[in-house]
Amino acid sequence: MQLVLSWPIRLAVVAILAFSLFVDGAGYIYRIANHLPLTGSVEGLPPNFGGWQLYFHRGLDLAGGTHIDYELTNFPAGQSRADVQQRTIQVINRRVNALNVSEPEIRGAGSNNDRITVDLAGVNAAQAQKTIGAVSKLVYTKWVPDAKVTAGPEPGFKPALTGLTGDDISAASATIDSTGTSWVVNITFTGSGATKFDNLTRDNVAACPGDSATSAAANCAQRHLAIWLDLTQKDIDNWEDPTFAGKVSSPYDSGCLAAQTPDTVCGKFLTDPVTREEIAGGQAQISGSFTQQSATDLATGINSGSLPVDLVALDVTQVSATLGAESVKLSLAAGLLGLAIVVLFMIIYYRVPGLLASLALLFYAGAVLAIFKAYPVTLTLAGITGFILSVGMAVDANVLIFERFKEEVRAGRTITAAVDAAVRRAWPAIRDSNTSTFITCVILAFVGPSAVKGFAFTLGIGVLASLVSSIVVTHNLLAIVLTAGGLRRPALLGVDRVRAV
Amino acid sequence: MVDDGKAQEAAVVAPAPRVRRLNIIGRRNLFFALSLLIIIPGILSMWRNGFLLGIDFAGGTEFTVTFAGNPSPAQVQGAVDAENLNGAVIQTSGGGYIVRYPPLNAASQTAVQHDLENRLGPMKVDQILEVGGTIAGETIEFSLLAVVLASVAILALLAWRFHNVPGGWRAGFQFGGSALAALLHDVFILTGIFSILGKVFGLRVGEIDAFFVTAVLTVVGFSVHDTIVVFDRIRENIRVSQRLSFEQVVNLSIMQTAARSIITSFTVVLVLAAIFVSGGETLKGLSLALLIGIISGTYSSIFNAAPLLVVWRRLQPLR
Repeated sequence: MQLVLSWPIRLAVVAILAFSLFVDGAGYIYRIANHLPLTGSVEGLPPNFGGWQLYFHRGLDLAGGTHIDYELTNFPAGQSRADVQQRTIQVINRRVNALNVSEPEIRGAGSNNDRITVDLAGVNAAQAQKTIGAVSKLVYTKWVPDAKVTAGPEPGFKPALTGLTGDDISAASATIDSTGTSWVVNITFTGSGATKFDNLTRDNVAACPGDSATSAAANCAQRHLAIWLDLTQKDIDNWEDPTFAGKVSSPYDSGCLAAQTPDTVCGKFLTDPVTREEIAGGQAQISGSFTQQSATDLATGINSGSLPVDLVALDVTQVSATLGAESVKLSLAAGLLGLAIVVLFMIIYYRVPGLLASLALLFYAGAVLAIFKAYPVTLTLAGITGFILSVGMAVDANVLIFERFKEEVRAGRTITAAVDAAVRRAWPAIRDSNTSTFITCVILAFVGPSAVKGFAFTLGIGVLASLVSSIVVTHNLLAIVLTAGGLRRPALLGVDRVRAV
Repeated sequence: MVDDGKAQEAAVVAPAPRVRRLNIIGRRNLFFALSLLIIIPGILSMWRNGFLLGIDFAGGTEFTVTFAGNPSPAQVQGAVDAENLNGAVIQTSGGGYIVRYPPLNAASQTAVQHDLENRLGPMKVDQILEVGGTIAGETIEFSLLAVVLASVAILALLAWRFHNVPGGWRAGFQFGGSALAALLHDVFILTGIFSILGKVFGLRVGEIDAFFVTAVLTVVGFSVHDTIVVFDRIRENIRVSQRLSFEQVVNLSIMQTAARSIITSFTVVLVLAAIFVSGGETLKGLSLALLIGIISGTYSSIFNAAPLLVVWRRLQPLR
């Protein structure tokens, strides 16, 4: 225990204190000085220490928004489940981008890569589920003559499904072509997709052979291959209605499709390139007058077209922002009230040691909040409760030491000796009891239901910090302050008599 | 500065004797009976009625809403009954309602909301919870697993920590086992009271959900916390006071640590009471469960755990 009172340890405590004050305070000062919002992430906000943005990460139950746990089913055979999960996460990410959510969180989970958790702030559940779960399907069509068609990309022709869909594509990406001047979209087909595509392109070229770039006759509609999202046979059946064909042929609109009702007609068109030559080998390139933006958009459209798996929502939580704000207010009030009660009680009951313990408690609270920001820990309602509870537990170690201190003083020890003996003798109980709580926290954090993990995490951090606060900080404060003679009066220490040195 | 020469002897005798006369070990059967008085009805209620299950465990879809028109509970129940979806209505303290259905898919969720608005006027949706059967099952599974794992880990920790008292590992297991019994006592008190609250009195606060599991596990940690403090004192006193009998050592240790146990629990109870009163709807059940559990934990560590250790020592003497 002498080690605890050594200068290196004291310096370390002061360093932790300085760090916590900095983490807790500096961000706010900067934000106030620059008229930035006080909470949440702010674009490009310094102090941005090596990529940190220091602020409390609020969980959805506090910020408001939607949380969904998805189960992935119907994994495509012969592909690594981890890859499929990653691809699904990418697709969901792209779809969610359309909703303009700040900091969407899409994480893989599940022991078998079969879960994805989605957290979207400020989005309601219905909208989120529609956008994410939309069964968008990429569809390739060829063109067949139909004199009654007057609108759409190829008047006089209507599309026909080819059987080639997004399932046949493994990737699409926007790049600069070999000449280095224009943007193109590269598509890679899967094995079976490559065969289908090869057949299609051969038929297309055969429809009006020649060099499509120079000869107008060789650029007939049948040589084009259109790409759509979600185009159905029912849409094609309506193609002779010019308004309808026009609408469906407008650029793909993810927002419209997400909010689709049976009556709305949404744009489903991606592109309609001409087939220059037969393409075998499963690598195709779509070129045209692309800008970087339009090429990327098309690649995104093709990629996000289809999810590689089916998604089943296992649970959905939607919390309104007002309820979240209310919860924050209530738990803050509860926390402050609890802290005030504890501090008041400690000072009245234990006098000077109680005051010192309260100082240690403030150090503890500051350090834990700094950890929450720096780590960062996403705070939920349960997490805040865990933190408040750990304040109560932090007191326990102090109470153990002080009760022991009183006993040692009664037994006739001098103050200095009593402090030392109190800490030394209380230590085994403090160590064992905190270990048991910590074990419970670790178990909860690993096997507990997800709602409970946040609680376990904050309580666990709290237990560790309270150990440092009571054993190191309170002990040091006691040792330093009680060496000063003026404070050694019995009334100030909450004991009957004190033996002089 | 006080140094009148009598300090030492005055300090040794003065504060303690009044408390130390309490003979807890001697009256242990009374305290065991008191515990059983609560545990037995609790177990009966759990066995006969089970629990009022929250949505986490039961599965389903739950809307927390506030209606602009402030309809009466009967009106809301009427509107929900008219939907024929087996919906149940619970009034919240804030004047809002919780409407709970069997699991609904995304489309019928929207439909239900429109339907309620058509029947009862504009409403504000505060929260929608939807829990499918898979998750509900997993929550139950994980919760039980967590309780069992935590109990085993704590028993092992205690047996290891206390195997250095006279008697070795066997003594260690007596300490660990008594602590575990006190812990189960608290778990049964807590679950029993919640079963009675939820099923016999039909109170929503007695509903058990993932938060309740959190509470049970925290209580497990806390109960052991208190018990360890007493046991640690017993271990120390066995070494220090060789002349006392085991009963006397235990009683002395209880008396020496009771102040600390009660004070600590008292501060935590104050904090929890603050959460219970001002923490809002979601935290009421959690803070009530913790309150019950921590009071029970303090009681059991003083009046059950150490006396049990004495009983066990009598049945299985080590010396």
